[in-house]
Amino acid sequence: MEQILQGLLDLPGVSAAIVFDATGALVASCGRALYDRPLCEQVSGALTKAVDTVRLQQEEWESINALFADGKFLLQNLAPSSARGHVLAVVADSTLNASFATVAIRVATNRLRKSIAGGTSEPGAGSSLGRPSASGATAPSAVSTHPPASGSQPLPSDSKVLANSGVSWSKSSSVGLSRVAVANPASAAFLSRCAKQLARHVGPIAKVYVEESVRRVSPDAPFSLAAANPLVNDLAAQIEDPDDRAEFCKALENP
Amino acid sequence: MLIPPLIAKLPEVKSAVVSDLGGGVVEALREREGESVAAVVGFLWSTATEAGHQLGLGSLRLLSFAGPVRGTVVATAGSNLVAAFVEPSSSLPSVEKLLTGALEKKEA
Repeated sequence: MEQILQGLLDLPGVSAAIVFDATGALVASCGRALYDRPLCEQVSGALTKAVDTVRLQQEEWESINALFADGKFLLQNLAPSSARGHVLAVVADSTLNASFATVAIRVATNRLRKSIAGGTSEPGAGSSLGRPSASGATAPSAVSTHPPASGSQPLPSDSKVLANSGVSWSKSSSVGLSRVAVANPASAAFLSRCAKQLARHVGPIAKVYVEESVRRVSPDAPFSLAAANPLVNDLAAQIEDPDDRAEFCKALENP
Repeated sequence: MLIPPLIAKLPEVKSAVVSDLGGGVVEALREREGESVAAVVGFLWSTATEAGHQLGLGSLRLLSFAGPVRGTVVATAGSNLVAAFVEPSSSLPSVEKLLTGALEKKEA
């Protein structure tokens, strides 16, 4: 777990990465200079209060972002969204590159979920379960029932329902997230088109947005062209400028 | 009206509440439970501020949280807090920018 947190700490602008449980107890932490263990323990309690307050308003939460004058913190739910469980906190200064951080935090979230669930082959992951971590904390074993994140679920064995849609969706993607189930090659090609068009407006994060959008519009079945319009509408919401949004929709009018 | 009209008109903004820093409701738009929402938003702001102080991050400017379906953004407007409840949550980043832009314009 510390290895995953260290990976986050390597991002420019990140000052600390912390995992705490639902009671506010520190599970693991990794931080620069001032962000030592006592501070991380103290702040875990305050952050847990904030999480519990968010849950009063919105039971199902995935992320919390707080922007301050001199930096920010980002919290990511490591449990299924309606359950109480572990939380990842990333503390950063104003130099943090939001796009890089978004992708890195999602990757780390998936790895941490695997680590907490205990079913991982990743080096270092899961090593803190059941014994004291490098930071001296012990991960409680009661969290081992969490399912892995959707992005890390094994692919169905029936290759007919899966297809790579080209460069953006290959298994070897450096992002490591870019696999979604599609019904046929035409659907895969359409996803690639969506990612390319969206990238013109939002940059390299487009692939992640497309992947998340597919999960929203086609949660229970492989993506097919029947869901093309809802997908385009959902993706269009990521584009701020109305003209750019219209251009994006027009470019994808004919799936 | 303390809620920026630009925000009130957005179809993605399902409701909005203006509260004071103590959690008292000042104004509510399409929100029946304005009082309880204002209290939660006020308390959330104070807990996040406390965490920020511990981390040496300075004063809190903007807070947002998102779930699979909906999201919320809270920003300061003078001595008040403006909370906008957004659906779908994928629209949260654009509403965040519009809200902060509208509030900065108002203060200028």
